[in-house]
Amino acid sequence: MATRRRFLSHSCGLGVAAATVSTTGLTLGLTRSVSASTVDGYKALVCILLSGGNDSFNMILPNDEDQYGEYSKIRSDLALDRSTLLALPGENDDGRSYAVHPGLGEVRQMYESGDLAIVANVGTLVEPLDGKDVDRGKARVPLGLFSHSDQIAQWQSAISYSRTSSHGWGGRMADLIDPNPANGLSMNISLTGNNLFQTGKHVSPYSVYFEGDGASTVWSYPQLWLNGIDINQVTDDLLDVEHNNMLRREYSRRLRGAIDNRDTFVSAVRSAPEMQTQFSENYLSGSLKQIARVIAGRHMIGQSRQTFFVNLGGWDHHDGVLDYQSTMLPIVSRALNEFRSALSELGEFDNVVTFTISDFGRTLTSNGKGSDHGWGGHHMVMGGPVRGGSFYGTYPELSESSPLDVGRGIYIPTTAVEQYFAELALWFGVAPGNLDEVLPAVRNFYSPSSSEAPMGFLV
Amino acid sequence: MIVAAIVVLSCGVVSPIGEGDVGGGGSGDDLGESISRAELVEASRFASQSTFGMNYEGLEEIATTGRNAWLEQQFNTPPSFLKPIAEDLITRQDSGEWEEFVENPFKLRNVIHRFAWWQRTMTGPDVVRQRVAYALSQFFVVSDRVATLSNNPYALTSFYDILLRNAFGNYRDMLRDVALSPAMGLYLSHANNTRADPDRNIFPDENFAREVMQLFSIGLYELNIDGSVKSDSEGNPIPTYDNDDIAEMAKVFTGLTYAGPGHYWGRKYFYHADPWVFSLPMIMYDGYHEPGEKVLLNGTVVPAGQSGMDDIEVAIDNLFNHPNVAPFFCKQLIQRLVTSNPSPQYIERVARAFNGDTGSPRGDMKTVLRAIFFDPEAEVLGGASTFGRLREPAVRVVSLARTFNYTSDSGDFFNTGYRLAYLVGQHPLSSPSVFNFFQPNYSPIGELANNRMVAPEFQITNATTIVGLTNQIGLAIFYENMAFHTYQPPFETPRIDLSDYEALAGTASDLVDRLDLVLTQGQLSRGTRDIVLETLDRVDDPRQRAMVAIYLILISPDYAVED
Repeated sequence: MATRRRFLSHSCGLGVAAATVSTTGLTLGLTRSVSASTVDGYKALVCILLSGGNDSFNMILPNDEDQYGEYSKIRSDLALDRSTLLALPGENDDGRSYAVHPGLGEVRQMYESGDLAIVANVGTLVEPLDGKDVDRGKARVPLGLFSHSDQIAQWQSAISYSRTSSHGWGGRMADLIDPNPANGLSMNISLTGNNLFQTGKHVSPYSVYFEGDGASTVWSYPQLWLNGIDINQVTDDLLDVEHNNMLRREYSRRLRGAIDNRDTFVSAVRSAPEMQTQFSENYLSGSLKQIARVIAGRHMIGQSRQTFFVNLGGWDHHDGVLDYQSTMLPIVSRALNEFRSALSELGEFDNVVTFTISDFGRTLTSNGKGSDHGWGGHHMVMGGPVRGGSFYGTYPELSESSPLDVGRGIYIPTTAVEQYFAELALWFGVAPGNLDEVLPAVRNFYSPSSSEAPMGFLV
Repeated sequence: MIVAAIVVLSCGVVSPIGEGDVGGGGSGDDLGESISRAELVEASRFASQSTFGMNYEGLEEIATTGRNAWLEQQFNTPPSFLKPIAEDLITRQDSGEWEEFVENPFKLRNVIHRFAWWQRTMTGPDVVRQRVAYALSQFFVVSDRVATLSNNPYALTSFYDILLRNAFGNYRDMLRDVALSPAMGLYLSHANNTRADPDRNIFPDENFAREVMQLFSIGLYELNIDGSVKSDSEGNPIPTYDNDDIAEMAKVFTGLTYAGPGHYWGRKYFYHADPWVFSLPMIMYDGYHEPGEKVLLNGTVVPAGQSGMDDIEVAIDNLFNHPNVAPFFCKQLIQRLVTSNPSPQYIERVARAFNGDTGSPRGDMKTVLRAIFFDPEAEVLGGASTFGRLREPAVRVVSLARTFNYTSDSGDFFNTGYRLAYLVGQHPLSSPSVFNFFQPNYSPIGELANNRMVAPEFQITNATTIVGLTNQIGLAIFYENMAFHTYQPPFETPRIDLSDYEALAGTASDLVDRLDLVLTQGQLSRGTRDIVLETLDRVDDPRQRAMVAIYLILISPDYAVED
């Protein structure tokens, strides 16, 4: 194990300059973009980032005697008590049974009702990999493995062979689908400010508050209006001033963009009907409520495709992982269920897919208080189009001698983020011939010309 | 003519309000008997880089003293620490002085470190030290956004005091003090980090070990002295450490726990149990320290058999002596204080100062700061299309409160920061993660990325925060006291004092000239100036004229970006 780990850690420096992305004739002859106006219906993708690296091996875990035993042995003082687990129904294709964390009651219920699926052991990869490849010294692995800043970026960029990507796959989708929206409002709306996922070459996310109507105008004051000063006009004039300095020009553009988009956005959320669904009072629930309002009022915005982004932080549990997860996972579980209920009430549940991402999974072994940075982890996908009640990808067989374990119970992902995201992007309306533009390394894991879906969790 | 910019009040609290001569002048050219406008402009530029903002009298003092001599005076000004303010508030709270905070203790407890920060930032005579410490707090990051720190004022103020104490000291001492601080021990979880127990699948916590290298000392890749990234024979960057190095470093930082009377291994943070112990450096329990040899960076061996504290000293030296530290640390300090895109030559000059090439000890902060502030690149005024930095939102608000003489009869400058944080998305000591509010290599798409420029502060500048900041500025000027949000009573909310500017407001051009001097270093664009003058034509009342002019310049791109 030590040999493998030594190799792995050093291989971060190997030149994996570019994945082999072949641009074959497949993309030729297809229209370059999926124009919003030619795509039928409305679809939205909601990305929930659990930033810090959720310890997902305690979120979704084996429940049969044999594998729970292995789990318990490896996790040591971090193992959840089996009697507290919420069992998922039935057996998976691997003949094993699984359970979710005791704080995920709503998640289990949604899994049972077919509205939620599990994507098992997914992570950043440069090419398909198992422990033997690593042992043979042939492994090409993502740059900056186990590092927050690198892995949180690679999960958003879907480019694992770079530590400096400036575009995310949601941004690249927007570049394709709606680079110049008629009313100026970005197709990508963020509840958590600027982020890589929604930033493309041309498109930046539009940021809104999770509270109130989401966006504020530049206020005026009696000292202005009593003297006949129209603050909107004066602000316009100030932002029209030409500057030699590029930073000043960028500032002018950003303030102007914020002012210009505000009315469109606010009119949309205000047009949303009152919802019966009660949302909890917290950041995630509030954000999902705001997203539901935007979706309900979208006729005022006029886009047939939208992405939304929420970053729920605080998952870097080197310390107190058991305590923190027992408070934080129920927040996620309840919020997802509230969002489901609101979307159903609005008749939009079949148009919206919500999915989680995180920096990485964590070490299955303990540091005595919590767990350290790992690699593969498990995720949830919820929505009407989801073939729920199933696992997708492969939940690794837990064992102290697992060929996937690169040390300290860090598991090599058995599914690449590209496969996970390709499924989402194709559903969203990206043409197979355009998939390379959204996910530059997708062909290392999936052929866009395939008649099979990348993973199959979406209808 | 020249008066002290700082008045020491009887209670020992210091007010930034000068007893200036301003007001009688009238003409913008009447700048004193011996100080030219050019000298004042130069002083303003220097103050904008080295302080949280100065009022006009402060600029006069810098210009009169001369920047070099004034900086030396600042180096010799003792630190105004945060902990004594926290201690006073905690003592008074615990004695039951405020019924409200007996019933609801966290309402006060959660903001005591912020009260202390604002008090010192507004009133400390050590204005350069306070500003540099704030820049350091974005390099050595802890945050009140975690529960164990939000209500732990002793930990947070003592941590900040480490930065204040070492701001003009040595980087090595600072790194060591940070590593042993309970705030960092809580934040990056190396407090109570124990030796491995492989039979139970328990291994040392790698959190601090990783970040102390990635963020607090050497960074990810080997650097040249000018900050550029070194390449291997295939043109790829060369990582400074790998995961095994992290595991080795993690072994070093085992065995530390919180100090204080009755200390014991595994002591945790409990709100009611001796919270003041969190102002003491952590202590070593050798029985919980990983025994045996450790191999650190560049093959440095920590021998087996020595004490845990000796291991830590070796590790600190190992990091401190790494050739990356100078360019890695100095570039970020330049970015926080002067410009987002320093030239490689500028970085190299400062890095060489850090390394002791100019004759000072390695890591000497005074030498580094002189090199940063008095570099030719920092001193050139205006014009370059790529120079300068977007002022941080929080600094823009602090700066207006200082420049426009926010004052309080009680001497209290307490701010919960809640309104500020909500509107502008930033508050000191409240970063969303150890990666600070923004990353040093953030490059906004469009013109800046196309020109290969970075602009870290734009990472937190979006549709909500840019409008929110514009509105926070409006509140602070037109509502006269809303740069601050405090609990009143028992505390007083400071108010703006615009009397200097009301006196100048009779002649619009005089008013704008003065504002151009104190706010935009004489670089106000013609276009913005014309808009402000035209708008002032509509306003008669002197106070309102002052407010309108100040507000418009403060929200303009001219002020937002210091170039």
